[in-house]
Amino acid sequence: MSENSPDKLAIREVRLGATRAEGGTREVSYVIGGDRGLPFCGNDAGRRLVALEICDDPAIWPPVVRNYVGDLVNNPEDWAQAAERRYGADLVRLNFTSTKKRGFNAFADIASTTERVLEATTRPLIIEGSNDPQVDSEVFRRCGEAGEGERLLLGTAEADRYRSVAAAALAYGHLVIAQSPIDVNLAKQLNILLRETGVPEDRIVIDPYTGALGYGFEYSYSVMERIRLAAIAGDDDLAMPMISAPTDTLSIREVREAAPEEQDAMAVAWEFYTAYSAFVAGASVVCVRHPLTVERLKKVLEA
Amino acid sequence: MPTVTFLPGYRKVSVPEGTSLLDAARAAGLAMNVVCGGQGKCGKCLVFVKTGSVSFDRDKFRKFFSDPEIARGACLACQTTVTGDVQVDVPEGSLIQEQKILVEIQGLEEIPLNPAVRKYEVYLSPPSLDDTTPDLTRLLEGVEGVGGPPPNRVYAPLGVLRYLPQVLRRSDWHVTATVALVPGGYRLSNVDDGDTTGRLYGAAVDLGTTTIVVYLWSLVDGRILSTASNYNRQISCGEDILSRVNFSRKGGLARLQQLAAESINEALKKAADAAGVDLEEIFEVMVAGNTVMTHLFLGIDPGYMIAEPYIPVVQRMLSTAARRVGIATHENTGIYTFPAVSNFIGGDVIADILATGMTEREEVTLLIDIGTNFEVVLGNRDWMLSCSGAAGPALEGGEVLFGMRANPGAIESVRIDPETLTPTYTTINGVAPRGICGSGLIDLLAELLRACVIDRTGGINLEIDHPRIRRGRYAPEFVVAWKEETPIGKDIVITENDIKNLVMSKAAIHGACMTLLDAAGLAPRDIERVCLTGAFGNYINKENAITVGLIPEVPLERVENIGNGAITGANIALVNRKRRKELDGLARRITYIELNADPSFMDRYTSSCFLPHTDLSLFPRVQQMLEACRLREGVGSRQG
Repeated sequence: MSENSPDKLAIREVRLGATRAEGGTREVSYVIGGDRGLPFCGNDAGRRLVALEICDDPAIWPPVVRNYVGDLVNNPEDWAQAAERRYGADLVRLNFTSTKKRGFNAFADIASTTERVLEATTRPLIIEGSNDPQVDSEVFRRCGEAGEGERLLLGTAEADRYRSVAAAALAYGHLVIAQSPIDVNLAKQLNILLRETGVPEDRIVIDPYTGALGYGFEYSYSVMERIRLAAIAGDDDLAMPMISAPTDTLSIREVREAAPEEQDAMAVAWEFYTAYSAFVAGASVVCVRHPLTVERLKKVLEA
Repeated sequence: MPTVTFLPGYRKVSVPEGTSLLDAARAAGLAMNVVCGGQGKCGKCLVFVKTGSVSFDRDKFRKFFSDPEIARGACLACQTTVTGDVQVDVPEGSLIQEQKILVEIQGLEEIPLNPAVRKYEVYLSPPSLDDTTPDLTRLLEGVEGVGGPPPNRVYAPLGVLRYLPQVLRRSDWHVTATVALVPGGYRLSNVDDGDTTGRLYGAAVDLGTTTIVVYLWSLVDGRILSTASNYNRQISCGEDILSRVNFSRKGGLARLQQLAAESINEALKKAADAAGVDLEEIFEVMVAGNTVMTHLFLGIDPGYMIAEPYIPVVQRMLSTAARRVGIATHENTGIYTFPAVSNFIGGDVIADILATGMTEREEVTLLIDIGTNFEVVLGNRDWMLSCSGAAGPALEGGEVLFGMRANPGAIESVRIDPETLTPTYTTINGVAPRGICGSGLIDLLAELLRACVIDRTGGINLEIDHPRIRRGRYAPEFVVAWKEETPIGKDIVITENDIKNLVMSKAAIHGACMTLLDAAGLAPRDIERVCLTGAFGNYINKENAITVGLIPEVPLERVENIGNGAITGANIALVNRKRRKELDGLARRITYIELNADPSFMDRYTSSCFLPHTDLSLFPRVQQMLEACRLREGVGSRQG
């Protein structure tokens, strides 16, 4: 499996999304990974993408975001469209928060929401499904089927519940987010499990789990660094690009308790510095929730 | 006082109100299974209260009982107090049962017989007015004349001097003196009438936390005459080391000392009876036990070992006379205890090292002793590293739903047909299965992995459509034996939680091995020999131990089960005084690595929490084998 040529990529290339020519309906697809060394050291190849996260049930969404986007929270397709056209996100991450409710069984809505959001957007889509073994397999089957051929990035596979995500990804041609709790060994173990389930290595993106800046981010940072160094040293089971979703950032005390007029600024500052650090640590895709964070990140990345 | 009647034997005992059923059972002479030492944590002391009055919070311990058991009045003996007359049914499974004990004789041809105790037959000239040498001097000069030590180096205990004059005169000055080499000189242990040089015996003792093993030797010709074994009676005060130390701290030290001596005496008596030997003619006893057991046996407070800064009272080899510790041999019998390296690397491990012969060899040996705790020693004749840790109770049947010790009815080996997933198993004594012991659990782990029923984290693949694979009450499970095959009226299963506990246990051991290898700058391929020993280590299937990543991957022929290393080491130290003398030096030479203080251990542990290991390149042959299994099972297609 390993080649010893000096041209060998340290990080495997992974293609997100599929254009019509590639069997999907996206206007663009992105290649992430492909790096040959550490990030920001002059030898990056892959892109750095900023995803704006939206959801299908805003009940548990951070108030600072709900206040900012207003009515959009009740309409995922408009929200997704705004993410791309108004806020400038490279892509959207659709979080099916509705599945986290007790006794969830609205499986048909999963399929239709997926379809509508795909319809409303032109770029690749990340989907965050349920995390309950009772409903996982149906949820992932429905969104997988609805997006067949689109090379969705499906999440989240974990060591004790990866089969449903993997099965949907295999059946409908999608990619898998492999999340492990801030540990290089556990990250590698999950990749091996997925590989042995039949998921091709170029369809796996590592999520090392990211805490908010000041709330454990330093652990995430050092683990991301270790993962990247292991890959550079030739460990094929860790040579996948990484996605980082520091989703707790907007729920921390500093943001919650900020004065009303400072709340957006605080939220964006916290999310921006966390997300940017995640890029520095080696993430290829970073997911944020506040639209203004997207703008700020894009500005720095393009500078 | 209320009367408690224990069925089915109708044993009655009167106890004060408020006494626990466990204590009442002890008072009635029943040895109950108390893995947790009576803390209500293990659920093994199940009893049924038939009639009468007790106090027990059944809801709190509900998880230990099945519905039919509840209907029969299930209680945990340790958590139930007597409030009036009561009749209690004690199921067989709640009593300590006969256990498979290591008794085997390893060829010791190469160890020269050179005991530390000898007999000297002397004919003395009677005293007269012309020769007024005192009796003792006369005897010792006679002993020196037939090759014994110089008189001024021999210490004579008062007890011997009190009967010496009568023996000398009664025998008409023809006696046999027993002289033992002791630290700092010699001891005149005994004087017999006439010639008894043909009868000089010694015993080697493995003083285990659970079992006692005794080998009885003739020190005249170096033959093993008999062996015996029995339970350590201290079990009634708690099953594991920690609960014994706690019992000792609560004023139980004298009791534990007495129980240790009684347990050894019982085994000595059995062995002596079998060989037709009088206990009074045993003059040396070599005891190998872990550091806590050695302290308890000698009546030394072990309490400071379990609290910061965790130090034992003594580490060096000790010798004392039998009567000081209540051993029922001759009162001047020399009792020797093995030295220790640390709290955790005790005399039993030093004995293991002796048994492997690694102190003599150039090539590197990895010694792994696995019981409830594990000890690992790596080295050769020039250097040695050691470490220890908790393997967790899983390998001995604790914290595993159908786990049990290696008692009759325990499933001890398993194979699973990869096509039909039907297990074939053997049980101890060949009786119907009641549970699974450690070696059976490791087999199951390896076989389930080969059959692709579990993934590398131990997760059961519920998508396989098979009646043996199902979602159990607490976790996914695999049925090893159907209810109809067992006498316990339940399916014997292994659950995903059990498997994960086992994976953690094996990871601790493998992580420890890797820590020592890294400290020595070696890789698994540099290990010339892996020696497995200990209550669990000795019965384990070597190939499966490698398959699941319990031990580093080395060619199978390099792995040996060395049997009961502690008793073999004790045998060696008994018959050869030179080897015995080297022990203190050996113990001092072994470097102890504290795993908790080694930051890289946690990393090694986590990477070992995978079957066989996260770094598959450490297990190339296992990896090849598992790839082949996955192809055969067509795993991709079975995922549904």
